[in-house]
Amino acid sequence: MIQFLIDTLIRTADLSLVALGLSLVYGLVRFANIAHVQYTMTGAFLTAEGLQLGMPFTMAILCSAVICGLLAVFLHYHVFAALLKAGSANAMIGSLAVSMMLVAVILGAEGSAPISYNLPIGTIWQIADSRVSSDQIWSLAMTLLIIAAFCGLMFFTPQGRSIRALASNRDLAAASGLNASTIVHAVNFIAGMMASVGGSIIAMNASAYVNQGNDLILPVLAAAILGGLGNPIGAILGALLIAVTETVVTNIDWGWLLGGELMFIPTTWINASSFVILLLALLLRPYGLFDREVRRV
Amino acid sequence: MKRHLSQIVAATGITFVCSINTALADVNLGAILPLTGTSASIGEDQRRGIELAIEQINAHGGVNGEKLSLIVEDSASNPVTGLNAVRKLTQVNKVPLVVGDFSSSVTIPVGQYLVKNNLLHINISGTSTDVRKIGKTSYSVIGLDDLSARFSADDVLSLGYHKVAFVAPDGAYGQGMAEQFTKAFEKAGGKVVAKVLYTSGQPSYRRELQQISRSHPDAYVYTSYGQDAIVLNREAWELGMHQTPWYGMYLTMAISGSSGQYTDGQLGMEVAEKAQGEASSAGQSYADNYQKQFKEKPRSVYGSYAYDSMMLAAAAINTAKSAAPAAMIAAMQKIAPTFTGLTGTLNLDADNQRQTQPYLKVKALSGSPVNR
Amino acid sequence: MFEFLLHILCIIGIYAIVALALNLQAGYAGLLNFGHIAFVGIGAYAIGVGTQFDISLWVVIPAGILVAMLVGAMMAALGRQLSADYWGIATLALAEIIRIAIINEDQLTGGAQGIGGITAPWATNNQLTDELLFAALIFAGVLLSTLISVRFAQSRFGRALRLLREQPQLAICMGYSLPWLKCKALMCSAVMCAGAGMMLAWYTDYVSPDYLLSSETFLVWSMVMIGGIGNVRGVLLGVVMVEGLYNFIPFAKDYLQISSDLTGALRLGLVGLVMLICLLSRPGGILPEKLRILS
Repeated sequence: MIQFLIDTLIRTADLSLVALGLSLVYGLVRFANIAHVQYTMTGAFLTAEGLQLGMPFTMAILCSAVICGLLAVFLHYHVFAALLKAGSANAMIGSLAVSMMLVAVILGAEGSAPISYNLPIGTIWQIADSRVSSDQIWSLAMTLLIIAAFCGLMFFTPQGRSIRALASNRDLAAASGLNASTIVHAVNFIAGMMASVGGSIIAMNASAYVNQGNDLILPVLAAAILGGLGNPIGAILGALLIAVTETVVTNIDWGWLLGGELMFIPTTWINASSFVILLLALLLRPYGLFDREVRRV
Repeated sequence: MKRHLSQIVAATGITFVCSINTALADVNLGAILPLTGTSASIGEDQRRGIELAIEQINAHGGVNGEKLSLIVEDSASNPVTGLNAVRKLTQVNKVPLVVGDFSSSVTIPVGQYLVKNNLLHINISGTSTDVRKIGKTSYSVIGLDDLSARFSADDVLSLGYHKVAFVAPDGAYGQGMAEQFTKAFEKAGGKVVAKVLYTSGQPSYRRELQQISRSHPDAYVYTSYGQDAIVLNREAWELGMHQTPWYGMYLTMAISGSSGQYTDGQLGMEVAEKAQGEASSAGQSYADNYQKQFKEKPRSVYGSYAYDSMMLAAAAINTAKSAAPAAMIAAMQKIAPTFTGLTGTLNLDADNQRQTQPYLKVKALSGSPVNR
Repeated sequence: MFEFLLHILCIIGIYAIVALALNLQAGYAGLLNFGHIAFVGIGAYAIGVGTQFDISLWVVIPAGILVAMLVGAMMAALGRQLSADYWGIATLALAEIIRIAIINEDQLTGGAQGIGGITAPWATNNQLTDELLFAALIFAGVLLSTLISVRFAQSRFGRALRLLREQPQLAICMGYSLPWLKCKALMCSAVMCAGAGMMLAWYTDYVSPDYLLSSETFLVWSMVMIGGIGNVRGVLLGVVMVEGLYNFIPFAKDYLQISSDLTGALRLGLVGLVMLICLLSRPGGILPEKLRILS
């Protein structure tokens, strides 16, 4: 049971920062930015570079986060804002093109082999019948901290209020005096930073590799959609639901139904199961599970 | 719009004209490798193996007095891209022989095309037994899954493990390996109690590892590469699963990139030549040359197979005294079955597949495989 | 070189049929379908499974078309309540489920290795004759698809689809059943794609789950968006441009003598760059949709 909980939490944490950023930006710009997952990959590599230059780990993560945030703002200002004028599908395909270019740059600069952070190996803690490494506890704690800080920003500060206002009704917010473009830039910066930190944390447990962004697209998109696009906290809960489904599906022993021997659903169906949950959830709640947007009846 | 259109047409036209003026003096051979995508790190390893071979060949006078040169195309692990690449190589660059790909799902259509057009194909890493059916002018320098599976199955049994769990990536490579290993192991009297084919590219494999540990096997037999291998090894160690023995097929790529602490003590098998401490002089110098030129150890054994494929091709051209496809095919038929390279003597059967492949029993020590 | 160009034309033709089918959904009806490639995969696997188990073409082809139409209807049923972006991801999820099912059911479908050795019923042993036959058939297919697209655009059905896209409430008031319109559009699209998929399986002599990757859907989408969504000529131009780009970048690499360790990165980067430039400079596509605007 504890093992189940820990596995679920770890999987959720892997996805949540990235899904959160995606959903957050969607609320303002109304297109699914595929290049967002490439910020995770870029951030992971920049952190690796920072570590190689000798920076302490937290410093490296911070620097790479800032650089990715700036990259996100830059790309939005010069590329996506222009593409959006012709529609969201246009912007989505444009983000695909940008995504390819980012991968190409990193592939050319860093090569195709995974780059490990070479951090000192953490201690293993035994909690009930499950084992967890201190590195993973650290990543979980970091993720929770950042999510908490983000919630604090969104719900308890005037800046957060203006972001939410802009997301729910752009024209009215602009009419009330909010500076839409500054807020959009700020949001892009935050989302870029979070994606980068998310990527570094994932890479901490393995290594930074070029395909990291592409491998994250489908799960992150699924988590963001499940939670309702534009609802960042919903994205985290969406990630949680996906993690729970996947862990449950692979750990239930169906052997008792069919004669005693251990029988599990093959792990090859893990991803399919999260997509099935996605479809079921959308059938029940067409705008995502945690949608609170007001729509005209 | 018209301006853009004419610019595009102009650019295309220029590219056309230029592409026709490719170097005519060299002998060109083609390679199709995954240079982007999941298998990019292994594709790069293979490309380097080929480059080392070509340098070696040209340093010794080339083929028939001409320089050998390589045109490499990216398949991105996609069959249609691979087919476009092989068409370009054969119809435009007019290469008589193409080497590649890494994954069977690209190797098979590319090989089929080459066979249909009476050109030579050398398979350097597709190990699915479907490769056998590609055709008469397709040669494999790598032993197919049935060879490696049989060796591993016997080795695992001889180590005393009768109940094993099998872990491999869910793709052409892993599925083929799982099938062959299960067949070989159960034929020899063992039992595969659990099988996990993990989906590539996940940040964590804890769930897969949890599921497979429930079956309490005597040992875990696994094969993996790239990023996934690093994650697997680390998480298996963190979950305490390293207390049960792990046996890695093609151990070098399975432990490549992982810290020694996570992998030390693993057992495995590897193609002869790759392990430290015993190598023919040719093998040693391959690893040394690789290290010198690329500043890192060879990432997998596939680079050596790629190296061998170039040597084989050069030998065929030298025997045929020409680089024309028909002459080369005749030469290959003559010399390929008994060709000896880094990875041993080919010893090909009637389907141009290896009947024997020297393997080594190895174990992991400080992050590298050594003989046991 | 001529044979290579012929080959490129064949591949362009196959993708053109798929892109025109997507245009039917996305261009006319505004349906953002991100699981589009599933239809192609179904057609291709129909041929593959038929070859694997020696089933006659008379059974396999209608079966493939029927299954594709069924999946299209399923996607339409999903769309009863879902709004655009959500429906897009739902179709993506459905396509992924189908792909994963195909990889896992290796007894039926050959698994990740796919099914090789598929020969088209009209295959001769001569490469050039085969190529010309394929080119002729694919050209006929493209012609047919173009005709269908143009006819739909001008027909009552097409106008209803555009109304569905722009003013769904008005369409309901005028008595159109929106779900049924969506269903029809999707099923037509599915049939076209299934045909393209069968062509693909015959042309490449091979079928693999990689034909159903989501990246293929995105490829087709980029062709449609760059060419001009909603405009048949635009879509065709887009296919020529994008596929031409992918296939001629390697020549640029050869000409510029780029070292082979940068090959992969360069190909990816250049394609992305050119696509981005096209999108930025011509936002509606190179040949945007011509809407009649009453002054």
